[in-house]
Amino acid sequence: MRVRGRPIPKVPTQISGLDEVLEGGLPRGRTTLASGGPGSGKTVLGLEFLCSGAMAGEPGVFVTLEERAEAVRKNALSLGWDLAALEKAGKVAVVEARLYGEEVISGDFDISGLLAIVGGQIKRIKARRVVIDALDVLLRVFGDPRRERNELYRLHEWLIDRGLTNVLTAKVHREGDAAPQYEFLDFMADCVIRLDHRVIGQVATRRLRVIKYRGSGFGTNEYPYVIGDHGIVLFPLTKAELTHQALGPKVSTGLAGLDAMLAGGYRRASCVLITGTSGTGKTSLACTFVQSACRAGERALYLSFEESREAMVTAMLSAGIDLRPALRRRKLMVQTGLPEAMGSDGHLIRALQAIDDFKPNHVILDAVSACVRMGSEQAAFDYLMRLVSIVKERGITCIMTNQITGLVGTDEELSGIGFSSVVDAVIQLRFVEKGREINRQVLIVKSRGSAHSNLRQPFAITSLGIEIPDSPRPPVDRAGQADTKDGGK
Amino acid sequence: MAGDGPNSRQALVNLRQLCQEHLKGRCTIEIIDVVKNFRAALKDNILITPALILVAPLPKVVVLGNLSDRQKLLLALRLPEGYP
Repeated sequence: MRVRGRPIPKVPTQISGLDEVLEGGLPRGRTTLASGGPGSGKTVLGLEFLCSGAMAGEPGVFVTLEERAEAVRKNALSLGWDLAALEKAGKVAVVEARLYGEEVISGDFDISGLLAIVGGQIKRIKARRVVIDALDVLLRVFGDPRRERNELYRLHEWLIDRGLTNVLTAKVHREGDAAPQYEFLDFMADCVIRLDHRVIGQVATRRLRVIKYRGSGFGTNEYPYVIGDHGIVLFPLTKAELTHQALGPKVSTGLAGLDAMLAGGYRRASCVLITGTSGTGKTSLACTFVQSACRAGERALYLSFEESREAMVTAMLSAGIDLRPALRRRKLMVQTGLPEAMGSDGHLIRALQAIDDFKPNHVILDAVSACVRMGSEQAAFDYLMRLVSIVKERGITCIMTNQITGLVGTDEELSGIGFSSVVDAVIQLRFVEKGREINRQVLIVKSRGSAHSNLRQPFAITSLGIEIPDSPRPPVDRAGQADTKDGGK
Repeated sequence: MAGDGPNSRQALVNLRQLCQEHLKGRCTIEIIDVVKNFRAALKDNILITPALILVAPLPKVVVLGNLSDRQKLLLALRLPEGYP
């Protein structure tokens, strides 16, 4: 007879995003191996697990085999954990267990001393968790693979016997792979997390992958992560279901003429792409919206990869758009950065922190085309998909500009790097030559869940702002059909 | 030593023999069981057991293992018998 398996008990790590991938956390009372190359964040993972446990009433022992206890305390402090205070409160014990390599070896030995020390500390603070940082350092003393294995199994059994949820970290040097002599670690542990720190297109990126998890399901992909001010942050975007909010009510674009074309304006919580060749007025159109939204008391976060805040404000002034009051009243936050300055993960965490702190109603990203300079097209795609996904999840409107180089036809080309599925509306700006004149035209290429004009409208950028004449022909009304099909999700 | 594991017992036997043969009446030995006294292990950073620490005369020396390699032990303790 088959019975339904009972889910195994788990301990949440409280590491942002990781518990989702682990479907709840690490296996309670079992061994988890976190392995990775130098600088991949193994120690940080262990520290976070231990400190969050200590705060949640599960004291823990941190055994450091490589770094000095003082260095570990400093490391923790930089992530916002006051280890010394937790130690004083009897919630954490740090055991500095370092071998100096000057010892003379005569005959066989074992790690009973370490177990005695750790055991003593466990008893003293009634620990429920143990982290052993840099196991490979301990194993190295044995210099004999068979002995290493035996001692490690002994340690593993010893920890399990005491019902301790434990994280062992180990260095591996080959990319994504355990060193052959440590392969048995993967077999021994119930849960194996591989941390990978690599360089793609000259930009450092970090990836986390769960290799195995006995008795539990887990996210099987590689997940990008960053080590920020608050420790590890993971972006498990590739969840099966989309949790975007339904598109919201209309919000004015700041231009009556454009509002008319869009049957009322942009939809809240939607992603709008403004596309066009250089100089067609993409930034001006985005800033017109910012000015209007901020005047209405809403907050806008402007992510600019093209120019500095001052340059943007000055340029907009000459187009009749004054962003200074919005900045003064803290309704507008401009975050600028060179795309090359950091990897796409770094940019993402920076944007997310701003979103968390500033809580904007609208996010403007200028420009999609610049994001490729974060490293590669894949990096830009990851960044944009994740950003849009997170922004939509929170019901924030996302306006993106994209600079294109020529005439375009398909959606694919409009968005530049093929993420058109998350784009709800596309506004195309272009120049048209007429005799000796060059004029601007705007066209709504698509507007999901809303009626929109199908005409190219002329517009002008004057010293008083953008001027679009009110639509001579009202938008084709297909709202009923569209709203049930796309807009009602 | 750590409890009465085989390595700890072997180390005691080997150490007694060494004292009998080379250090009779010239040494003081303190035996600490780290299982009973983990603070002592913590203080002297004893992770590997058994371990023998030569406290005096200086310089301090740490010998790890059950002391069955007599030659290495003699050399580590700077006993003349260790030199060929």
